[in-house]
Amino acid sequence: MTTTESVQTMVRLSVAAYALALASVAVAQQGQPAPSTRAASPAADGIANEKSFAAIESGKWTGKRLPDGQPDVAGDWSNTIANHDNFTDPQGGIPGDPSPVARSRKLGPREERAPSRVSDPADGELPYQPWARAKQQEFAVGFFNAVKPEYIEPLARCAPSGIPKSFYWHGYEIRQYPGYVVFLFGSGWRIIHLDGKPHLPANIKLWNGDSRGHWEGITLVVDTTNYNGKGMIATSGATARIRGIHESEALHVVERFKRVDANTISYEVTIDDPNVYSAPWKVSLRLTKDANYLIYEYACHEGNYAMEGILRAGRAKDKAAETVAK
Amino acid sequence: MNLKSTLQRSRSLGLGIGAVLAICFLISPVLAGSDSAGGVGKIPRLAGGRPDFSGIWQTTSAADQGLEPHEARKGAPPSAGIVEGDVIPYTPEALEKKKKNFETRATADPRLKCWTLGTPRGIYYPEPFQVFQRAQDLTLVFEFGDSVRTIHTDGTLHPVETDHEFWLGDSRGHWEGDTLVVDVRDFNDQTWLSRAGDFHDEALHVVERWKLIDGNTIDYRATIEDPKVYSRPWNIEVYLYRHREKNFQLIENYCYTQDYDQYYPIPKQQ
Repeated sequence: MTTTESVQTMVRLSVAAYALALASVAVAQQGQPAPSTRAASPAADGIANEKSFAAIESGKWTGKRLPDGQPDVAGDWSNTIANHDNFTDPQGGIPGDPSPVARSRKLGPREERAPSRVSDPADGELPYQPWARAKQQEFAVGFFNAVKPEYIEPLARCAPSGIPKSFYWHGYEIRQYPGYVVFLFGSGWRIIHLDGKPHLPANIKLWNGDSRGHWEGITLVVDTTNYNGKGMIATSGATARIRGIHESEALHVVERFKRVDANTISYEVTIDDPNVYSAPWKVSLRLTKDANYLIYEYACHEGNYAMEGILRAGRAKDKAAETVAK
Repeated sequence: MNLKSTLQRSRSLGLGIGAVLAICFLISPVLAGSDSAGGVGKIPRLAGGRPDFSGIWQTTSAADQGLEPHEARKGAPPSAGIVEGDVIPYTPEALEKKKKNFETRATADPRLKCWTLGTPRGIYYPEPFQVFQRAQDLTLVFEFGDSVRTIHTDGTLHPVETDHEFWLGDSRGHWEGDTLVVDVRDFNDQTWLSRAGDFHDEALHVVERWKLIDGNTIDYRATIEDPKVYSRPWNIEVYLYRHREKNFQLIENYCYTQDYDQYYPIPKQQ
């Protein structure tokens, strides 16, 4: 098996693991113990064990540049600490996870685990408006007992995972051209237009929004509007795995990708949605080069067997409830 | 017509050299045009000299309504077809299946589920796609379904292991002069070639030939082979035109989300 093939296999496995994780949730919803794929390897090397996340100061970029002057950021990238299980306590496990393994796990002091992905406000918590917080908590419970279609997170239906989740869901590739930076994620793509075109008309609403970028020295600044308000901000809206608060159509995202060295981008995103949050807030991530990652053809909706599993489990549960009622 | 034959002909017509030069001057823009079709004229090129296909492209043909020539039918314009020889050489059994597909096309076409269109259908589907090009690859982003296809031009070969699970195939390209020749294989059997039910099996093998005939037009040809479905390889040819409208861009179209949009209402304070 070549490196390319083994990487492809790896990516397939990670997709399979995601399907399995969803299926295990579906099974758990039926009240049967299911092995938690997350808990099965809590001490895996890498992201899960990284304890600190220092802000990266700007350096002077002395590396390669494109002919048009852009710092060269092309290549395969992966996340560092910023897993999708828990947004504000990345090593804290999945709050509310009903699996026995998760429930039996004992956590040490908070300071021994990686900090919140939220860098502003300083307490690492999201500045929800009260009604939005209530909505998020309703969703957090509903996720494990999806009695309403909206409790199934959009990504499970193959909708693109948006910002900033796309940067810590799987690896991704950046391809760079005069006038464009293109991100190829494990769930959709983004084309960043650098050519000064205006944003799309305001009445066009999109899952991934409409992105315009420009370079400020070594920093790529991307301004994104035209969101459809159906996606999920981050994944967790503060607490749990693939659970979160929906954004609104007023969402405005400004990202700063600061190329620090050959293997590192300091990523900071400011999320402003006055319909949902009381103030703009920031997420900081370190993006790291991963030469072994290879993006694979993304076809999710076409074979979304995990979704079938969730729905089948839900129907079985409904039927069981009907039987009891009789 | 080269200069020598022009001279010979003009002499026979009794014209002087000056007149010949004047004629040459007058027809030179025409010659330049045909030169570019020959690959030495004004087509965009990358820094290394290769033709540059970067841009947003779309067919104006009705190929997706049916690759073979067809008259108008309800909901579909007529088309002279894009198949060389007009007829797709289906085997008798495959022709029966194609006819069945045609009858059930209103529900059976994978496009209606927003499944990845496949190769070559994504190219002549009536929705734009954008090409991003570097020396080592071309990235094709299709607006429909937001599919992404990479054509590798770095000399790498197809993976040895094939498992027939790609929707768009595995694409490896090389240059023959100014023509980009792309070998595409390792397909699944889930895509159609048109709304008329044209189809293929896993043995599909596509060889594409991409050529800029001027700065804004691609002559796209493909040879389509699948011994399980066709009695011989067959060819298509379609022109792709560059979008040049002001501020034109691809617009995200994750069309499969339309079926569940309703479940994700924009949250509002009650």
